[in-house]
Amino acid sequence: MLKLKNINKKLGSFALTGINLEIAEGEYFVLLGRSGSGKTQLLELVAGLTAPDSGEIWIDDRDFTFRRIQERRVGMVFQDYAIFPNMTVFGNIAYPLHSKKLGRKEISDKVSLIAEEMNITGLLGRYTHNLSGGELQRVALARALVNSPRLLLLDEPMASIDASLRDDIRRTLRQLHKKGLTIIHVTHDFREAVSLASKVGVIHNGHIIQTGTPDSVFSRPVNKFVARYAGIRNFYRVRYRHDGKTWKAFCDGNLVIDIKGDNFPGDGLLILKSDNIKISVSKPPEDEVNCFRGVIREINPSEYGMEITADAGEVFYIDLTINEFKALQITESSEVWITFAPGAAIALPGTG
Amino acid sequence: MRYNCFIWILLLLSSLVLMFVLAPLAGMFMHTGSSEILETVSDREVLDSIWLTIWVSFAATFFFALAAVPLAWLLARKTFPMKSIVQGIIDVPVVLPHTAAGIAILGFISRDGLLGKAADAMGLSLINNPAGIALAMSFVSVPFLINSARDGFAAVPERLEKAALTLGAGRSRVFFTISLPLAWRSIITGFVMMFARGMSEFGAVVIVAYHPMTAPVLIYERLSSFGLKYARPASVLFIMVSLTVFILLRMVTFKKKEAQAAPDAEA
Repeated sequence: MLKLKNINKKLGSFALTGINLEIAEGEYFVLLGRSGSGKTQLLELVAGLTAPDSGEIWIDDRDFTFRRIQERRVGMVFQDYAIFPNMTVFGNIAYPLHSKKLGRKEISDKVSLIAEEMNITGLLGRYTHNLSGGELQRVALARALVNSPRLLLLDEPMASIDASLRDDIRRTLRQLHKKGLTIIHVTHDFREAVSLASKVGVIHNGHIIQTGTPDSVFSRPVNKFVARYAGIRNFYRVRYRHDGKTWKAFCDGNLVIDIKGDNFPGDGLLILKSDNIKISVSKPPEDEVNCFRGVIREINPSEYGMEITADAGEVFYIDLTINEFKALQITESSEVWITFAPGAAIALPGTG
Repeated sequence: MRYNCFIWILLLLSSLVLMFVLAPLAGMFMHTGSSEILETVSDREVLDSIWLTIWVSFAATFFFALAAVPLAWLLARKTFPMKSIVQGIIDVPVVLPHTAAGIAILGFISRDGLLGKAADAMGLSLINNPAGIALAMSFVSVPFLINSARDGFAAVPERLEKAALTLGAGRSRVFFTISLPLAWRSIITGFVMMFARGMSEFGAVVIVAYHPMTAPVLIYERLSSFGLKYARPASVLFIMVSLTVFILLRMVTFKKKEAQAAPDAEA
């Protein structure tokens, strides 16, 4: 549906470089990145607000790279909604319909229909100064959708609304996706991506560094940056060696980790997801691989329960539920055993 | 509220500045009797000069606004080569001595000048003509309109214009439905400033047109021919009319916020 082919765009000292992206019809694509990573600039390129220095933008197998914005059938919702303060809610939603020079009756009918869908019928006659963040978001969505765009672009749609209203907006976005609308949603929030995306991409310093399903990206990140986005905190600089039978990773802190797989580079970075690490107070069976004795350094409450920091020559961050934590009866400076399966360790090339 | 010493010093200095502005005006009003003002109100020459000053300044502001407002938008939104030089050129009339500005305008509109020749070909002489007065007034006052409108356009969030473009509007529609309505307050402020500055202009105007007399020229003429006593009532009347017009126009600018958020251009 949308293809970006080797897009380059210089913006002052920042540049989007070598952007290649393909988004299929009906896909919900979430582009994850920190502020300043180039997410919004990429959306503006797709919308046609700026033109690339080189590369091509194809929509529905037609080259739209230098076509006018008005021809693209793309709707965009801006981060702070960009609602026109000199117009009522009705005026805002009707704005794109006036561009098409539709009749009054048709405009009124279309606005009423989309307002009903977005649950903002009661706001149509109001000016926008006193609307809440959630209401403004719905007005912005209605305005972007009233012209039935082929592609909806969302720039940090939940950044400016209360946590309590996010579920509502999330539900609305899911419904739009279910109806078959293709959506590109940019955000810095990993959880937003997990909860909405059928496909994700991670952008950093103007490059898209990984794309795929949320599961593939977050369980197999290609580098430390993506891994950090997925909430992974266990990173180890290692040297990979094959001992004739299995591959092993030698950490700087003298720990030797059994790993699963083949063809590892000489040096690299090994990562472990916190929830793949097990902890026990009694010694596991002798044949258990990747079993290390350590000491609890810190115990902190976390979003999922408790986060344990244990030192076994390398520092491990381990997530436990409250029940698991209570069952273990551990305190800071308790001695524990840390274990994980060889398949839980993910090897990344390079050190970054 | 308890004020510390620093605040008292600030208040004292502020009061001195305000008194410096108000004292000469108050003195002039106090030294002018109501009978003199009533007599001046019925003086045809004074009334004609005030009316001429008002309508010429208003017309000059209105016609120059048609070109100055788009220029202000360009300055606020676009980057182009030598933009800072263009900005500097716009501010030149503000720093020029106004008599020098008058000489420059005179050269431009006299029969030897570019505009003067064109006007002459149509049988019109711009010297000693309201059109010439309007040009002199505009020359010294148009920077006020351009700068205020430019600041107004710059304060309109660019993303609103971008949003309008993504909603299918063309550039001109974005300008008339988003940029202009949202910068309206600053444009009106600039309009009022240009109008007021044009009305009060003496130096440039007197060089291009001693006749017909604008109010500032008439006041000067009365002072130099008859003395302070005769110049004062005309000054008081002109100030009263100017302040009334100025206050009325400012009221339009500072109306409630809801009024500024004008009814939908298109709803």
